[in-house]
Amino acid sequence: MASPDGKHCRSQTNGEAKPPDSKKQKITELITDDEIMSEFSHHDASVARINNGSFGACPQSVISAQQRWQLRFLRQPDSFYFNDLKPGILESREAIRSLISADDVSEVSIVDNATTAAAIVLQQMTWAFAEGRFEKGDVAVMLHYAYGAVKKSMEAYVTRAGGRVFEVQLPFPVSSNEEIITEFKLALERGKVKGQRIRLAVIDHVTSMPSVVIPVKELVKICREEGVDQVFVDAAHGIGCVDVDVKEIGADFYTSNLHKWFFCPPSAAFLYCRKSAKFSDLHHPVVSHEYGNGLAIESAWIGTRDYSSQLVVPSAVEFVNRFKGGIEGIKKRNHEVVVRMGEMLAESWGTSLGCPPDMCSSMIMVGLPSCLRITCERDTLKLRAHLRECYRVEVPIYYRSPKEGEIDPITGYARISHQVYNKLEDYERFRDAINKLVSDKFTCPSLSA
Amino acid sequence: MNGGDDTRNLGAAHRNGNNHHHSAKRPKISLPISESEIREEFSHHEEGVARINNGSFGSCPASVQSAQKNWQLRFLRQPDDFYHNTLSEGVLHSRTIIKGLINADDVEEISLVDNATTAAAIVLQQVGRGFAESRFNPGDSVVMLHCAFQAVKKSIQAYVTRAGGSVVEVELPFPVTSKEEVIDAFRLGLRRGKQDGKTYRLAIIDHITSMPSVVLPVKDLVSICREEGVERVFVDAAHAIGSVKIDVKEIGAEFYVSNLHKWFFCPPSVAFLYCKKFELSKDMRHPVASQEHGNDLPVGNAWTGTRDYSSQLVVHSAMEFVERFEGGLEGIMARNQRDVVEMGKMLADSWGTNLGCPPEMCASMVMVGLPSRLLITSGDDALRLRSYLRVNYGVEVPIHYQAQAQAQSQREEGDGPRDKDGGRITGYARISHQVYNVADDYYKFRDAINELLKKEFTCRMIFTE
Repeated sequence: MASPDGKHCRSQTNGEAKPPDSKKQKITELITDDEIMSEFSHHDASVARINNGSFGACPQSVISAQQRWQLRFLRQPDSFYFNDLKPGILESREAIRSLISADDVSEVSIVDNATTAAAIVLQQMTWAFAEGRFEKGDVAVMLHYAYGAVKKSMEAYVTRAGGRVFEVQLPFPVSSNEEIITEFKLALERGKVKGQRIRLAVIDHVTSMPSVVIPVKELVKICREEGVDQVFVDAAHGIGCVDVDVKEIGADFYTSNLHKWFFCPPSAAFLYCRKSAKFSDLHHPVVSHEYGNGLAIESAWIGTRDYSSQLVVPSAVEFVNRFKGGIEGIKKRNHEVVVRMGEMLAESWGTSLGCPPDMCSSMIMVGLPSCLRITCERDTLKLRAHLRECYRVEVPIYYRSPKEGEIDPITGYARISHQVYNKLEDYERFRDAINKLVSDKFTCPSLSA
Repeated sequence: MNGGDDTRNLGAAHRNGNNHHHSAKRPKISLPISESEIREEFSHHEEGVARINNGSFGSCPASVQSAQKNWQLRFLRQPDDFYHNTLSEGVLHSRTIIKGLINADDVEEISLVDNATTAAAIVLQQVGRGFAESRFNPGDSVVMLHCAFQAVKKSIQAYVTRAGGSVVEVELPFPVTSKEEVIDAFRLGLRRGKQDGKTYRLAIIDHITSMPSVVLPVKDLVSICREEGVERVFVDAAHAIGSVKIDVKEIGAEFYVSNLHKWFFCPPSVAFLYCKKFELSKDMRHPVASQEHGNDLPVGNAWTGTRDYSSQLVVHSAMEFVERFEGGLEGIMARNQRDVVEMGKMLADSWGTNLGCPPEMCASMVMVGLPSRLLITSGDDALRLRSYLRVNYGVEVPIHYQAQAQAQSQREEGDGPRDKDGGRITGYARISHQVYNVADDYYKFRDAINELLKKEFTCRMIFTE
């Protein structure tokens, strides 16, 4: 029995926990608006929190479940370690397996975050270079908009070990999947030019900044056609944000954070590794006595830590199933509303969206008026801080360098998110804040450093 | 800069009309802390359990847990603001406190990591790179103790052996009667392990070994390392902070790690990694590369992706807790040592066994010989006996199986210590003493073993479920 207080009796005896099928709808009452507000009442009510994408959100009921796990450890840690931890982690992994349609729970490991997953996948490349399985100059490909930490990981584990890293240039704003597919094919060709192998492609499922949904299924297919050894999909924003069916997507590795869009507390993420002899060499970089027992087991014990955020996945599944349509319903509604809000803002400001609606998930990029004069990345940080401090609006801003010849280019895009706790007023406040800045003839250069 | 500060939180709640803050319970200003206040601080510990294993997972008082919850809530409330405006200040504050506690020169020498296991990965990955990038020669070695923590041994396998380095294991005597025994054995082991043309690139030594647990004369051992040409020394002092006084300059090692959640009342998990001389840390990287990768180690360690950093932020709350005790941390350490030795002797007397080392080689833990009649004949027996004691007697204590007497000197004298029945002592219990322990905890253990003896119980009788 893995649950912290014995109340959630999903399993029979013998610790064989069978988590609820996350895709089936529970025949219970649906969560009400008041209940949703209550679940997120710990959010700073004065802030228009339209940035779920960065750090996610966690409802009270999951926080409570987490605290019960934490207390259980503190109460009798030895007993917790010997009797509760492993079954609890296994239950979480099984819940994830079901959500992502993986074949086997052995393919699912839980790690801190997508950043850690990247380190795991890339570290095996370092060994491959060092042990002569790869040749110096062999290639890894990633998107230009890959997350900063992933880029650094590529440097640390690939470039430093003798590999070459190619970036796929992606247009932004983007108007169709075809644009992305074309650029991707070009990058693969460049990579193969000197006859070297492309050992790894790292593809975002949903890029971070700027945020766009990438046609991963198609790109994975192209990778297979072009003989890329391994494909790693970095879907930090994946689960709870876009559809995740790992078999359909077909990548070798797939990672997603659970604390962004799946209501887990920080931090918990999973790394899916398709069953194959090729990948038995993955290791968690923090080595414990479980070294050599497989990545999932290694990841489940990396020394004394607080594993509670990894243990509440079943509680997050329960939370999600209180909504109409479960996680599918939440995704659908988030998407619909964020597109509507994006269009509302673009119309009010006379700007445009960064991509068509079908290329966005629960986030969308909305152009900011060019008269704000966002001229560099520092301006975006200044503007973001200004919006936070003076207007209580929390939203990340992306700087886009203008192309030559553009007249009055849109150089700044706000990445707005929609999650179940958001309200119309959040976006209206943002709309009005920008309109006020415009009418006050505010410009970024005028902000102090 | 106080995550547990009532007034700031209440003020904020007022400002924002948000009444769902959990205010930290401010300790009453009555020093020193009373017995009943201590009981209250640890009232979450499971009742009915003689918890004499602080060494494995540590413990955390309610007031520090409270402070931690405040930090967690602050993040959840407005994570962007927290990340941009609060986190790095908080971590710097924690590092500064630690710098003071261990007599480091510069706060830049201190990084916070999850635990000693993580620190070992950081140091050993760097060694691994030395081999991969041919700065080290194949066959150059890393020295470790035979009783090194299992995770450290595996880490050496993963990063050193795999990269072409070799490993020299040094056996230390146990039971042990003086620090000179340890020093002699260590020097001998280093000399034996030397090979022509090969360099000792790193030595990993415990400050306080885990199983069996002994406080090692780490300053002397570091000197010997220098004498024998070891390039760098990494002290795995997982148990040290809160158990023994630490002066990293005096000890002189390049790297020193200790867990704050074992003996320093922090929640799981937080440890510090000290790296001598700022320059050293330039090539040290946290294995999880974030945007901060490439910046110095403390910064690279301070952000390893979105995580719960709250346990790293409560170091000052733990300090405050410690200061409520008479004599502060030093008082706690002195009393723990006095009490654990007293209880150890009490047990050894009752069972007719021995202690694994002299009092001056103990801190807050001591190894107590178990009666030979229990027939502990393997590591598995030790583990099963531990479970048996937990389930049937409500006693939580780790058991160590000690095979043949290992050190040269003991082999010459005989075959190891014997108990009052003349049988060989092959099992030792590692008892801990922390501020929440009471004499009854140890009496319970004493009586449990005596009852087992009366019933003519042996480890053979425990069936694995």
